[in-house]
Amino acid sequence: MNKTKKLFEPAPETMEIICAGIGGRGVLLASTLLIECAVDAGLSAIASDEYGMSQRGGSVVSHVKIGNAKSPVVGRENAHVLLALEESEFYRNLTFIRRGGLAIINSKSTSIFESVDKVLKKRDVTHFLLDGDKIAKEKGIIQASNMAIMGFFSAFAIGPYNRDALMDTIKKKVKKSLVLKNIEVFEEGFLKAVSLIKNF
Amino acid sequence: MEQKKEVMIGNYAIARGLIEAGIDLAAAYPGTPSSEILPGIIEFNRMEKGITYAEWSVNERCALEVAIGAALIGKKAACMMKQVGLNVAFPPLPSFDELKIKGGLVLVVCDDPGPQSSQTEQDTRLISVLMDIACFEPSSPDEAADIAYYAMNYSYEHKLPVIVRSTHRVSHARQAVSIYPKGKRMVELKEGVLNKTNGNFEGSKLGIISSGMTYSTTLDVLKEMGLENIIPVFKVTSIMKGKISGDKNKGIVEFVDKVKHVLILEETDAVLELLIGKNRKVLGRNTGHVPSAGELTYNVIRDILGDVSESLKITKKKFLFDYEIEDAIKDIPLVQRPPKLCAGCPHRATFYAMKKAFPEALFPGDIGCYTLGTSLGAVDTCIDMGGGINVASGFYDAFNQDGVLIPIIATIGDSTFFHAGITPLYDAAKKNKRFILIIMDNGTTAMTGMQPTPQTGITAQGKSNKPILIEDLVKSMGIDFLKVVDPYDVPLMTDTIKDAYNFLSTERERVAPAVIIARRECVLSARGKEKPKYEEIPLEKTCIGCRTCIDYFGCPAINFDDDKNQVIIDDGLCTKCGVCLFVCPMI
Repeated sequence: MNKTKKLFEPAPETMEIICAGIGGRGVLLASTLLIECAVDAGLSAIASDEYGMSQRGGSVVSHVKIGNAKSPVVGRENAHVLLALEESEFYRNLTFIRRGGLAIINSKSTSIFESVDKVLKKRDVTHFLLDGDKIAKEKGIIQASNMAIMGFFSAFAIGPYNRDALMDTIKKKVKKSLVLKNIEVFEEGFLKAVSLIKNF
Repeated sequence: MEQKKEVMIGNYAIARGLIEAGIDLAAAYPGTPSSEILPGIIEFNRMEKGITYAEWSVNERCALEVAIGAALIGKKAACMMKQVGLNVAFPPLPSFDELKIKGGLVLVVCDDPGPQSSQTEQDTRLISVLMDIACFEPSSPDEAADIAYYAMNYSYEHKLPVIVRSTHRVSHARQAVSIYPKGKRMVELKEGVLNKTNGNFEGSKLGIISSGMTYSTTLDVLKEMGLENIIPVFKVTSIMKGKISGDKNKGIVEFVDKVKHVLILEETDAVLELLIGKNRKVLGRNTGHVPSAGELTYNVIRDILGDVSESLKITKKKFLFDYEIEDAIKDIPLVQRPPKLCAGCPHRATFYAMKKAFPEALFPGDIGCYTLGTSLGAVDTCIDMGGGINVASGFYDAFNQDGVLIPIIATIGDSTFFHAGITPLYDAAKKNKRFILIIMDNGTTAMTGMQPTPQTGITAQGKSNKPILIEDLVKSMGIDFLKVVDPYDVPLMTDTIKDAYNFLSTERERVAPAVIIARRECVLSARGKEKPKYEEIPLEKTCIGCRTCIDYFGCPAINFDDDKNQVIIDDGLCTKCGVCLFVCPMI
């Protein structure tokens, strides 16, 4: 954790985040939580989502910038954080991550392709794999794997995104009947990160 | 008191600005990226306990002319559409300068650089210049609320119709937007040089002129390059009487005069370039410094600015790609994810039946979710809204002239049929054009987010009204072959299509086209309403790995496992509609 935290300390003036996944599988909610949480913390923030045709099961990417930014669009090799809600979308969006960045990937796999591992090491990018689908399934809410990734991310407490703040945002923005289940998945993701970071 | 703010998308911000400006009437036809403005107006109106009337019109021309009517009487009216929707609404535009409106009239048009969700890119600013209609353009959601408010007040005060032009990156960006009580917003247009170059751009090696989201992205890129206080950027927010920034036009003349080179960054046509006119200083689309089409993304702008500032010796810090990333992923097999019809989509069943009945037919298609029928080989053309029926007529004539009758199966969605299909069908029936038209009736405008159609019997503001049935319209045209079929019943649908062709080839004196209404609710809006047809889909059990369902049906819930050489059903996606059971040769 210390290593990762140091990557973004002091917090950058503008933090850029990419959420990537598949249409209809929680990318929009993830980016909504990120921007709302930042605004609640008194920061200015702007995000860009994709609508229309891409919602029909295609690849979906949301851009979020918090701090000092005018446009929501993230440039190549500029993202501090990539939250990949699906493994293929992680590889597809790899060019977004900046040197020294962080990637969290929802996947059943326990490792990423060697060639990518090598280039990430070279670029000083930290990455973690988390089986968010499994966690969500165990909690009985298969669509909520995005919450596992958010929980995991919250353990790094980067900028405004600590566990308590994100939980508050979930309570505010998620449909009431689903809040409890979502929080359970989020919490599990958080705990997984904490135990991993101990051995980091 | 602290300023009240709320996070919202640009389209809601436009809605907020209009409601605060006190609009009386709003009319729209949905189309990405404009669809969320009308729902935003309805929501804010409800919150403010206002009496604004809002409607989904049958098409954009209806929306604009309804708004014109209200504005002529003295109301504040607005209408919204996407950029290609403006083509449908075009007829009244050339008369705009003669319109004696007593109220206010704001036409909000959302352009789609890329295009991401349209058949073509199109620049509404060009229309505004051609037709001499004042045009205002925001560069962020927060500014969009201001601009919408300002535009309505400007129109009301000057008794002139105006255009607010947005693009998808503004309309669909999300940001904290300031909220005021009705009539309390104070807006001063932000235009001219706003970055901290202190207005002192005399002799600057480079000055940039930009507008909309391109302006915002340009500022971010300049910041990354460390040039934000070195290169002055002129923001264009309004075009009036064919001039940039209207009355303040002197500002831009002086700007162009004083800097040594001018780079113009705009989406998507060279409109500002056109207005600035021929000038050796100007770098832009016409000089090849800016790509001639496509969205000006962060990466594209960074590339342009890198090249230009390097060649003008402003900086040596051009951003270079780390191509090792590409090398690292080039051999990784990525799941390809083109947009697909949803699992359980009734359109897929219809397309499958069409291909089954007449694999070699001609398939004129139309605009909507069902344009994705291309992936099933059942959509050959996609020209514009309603175009499919006319094209089918033309196809028929082309063959008929040579004494040949071939199967032509046109498709159109229910909302598109109401939008632009009624007149073409009437025309085809008048002339007895012998093709099959399948109206794919899923009871909603699915592509753009489930807006009601005239057949739904629900208005935009949630009230009920008398539905107008598609079959009643078709019958009124005297068409002799009309069947309503549930597309999930693939054998019945296939037989009905064959019957239709039989009718066309044998009963030559009776009125064609043959019309089939494929009626089943959109799988997205039907979710949770009724029990699935099947408890389980036994596809995995009988699978011999022939790939028929993968190659000819393409349901996203059916994946092929190469190791096991068989299909795997994705339980998270499968709706248990059971249509694939008609596809599997083993069942």
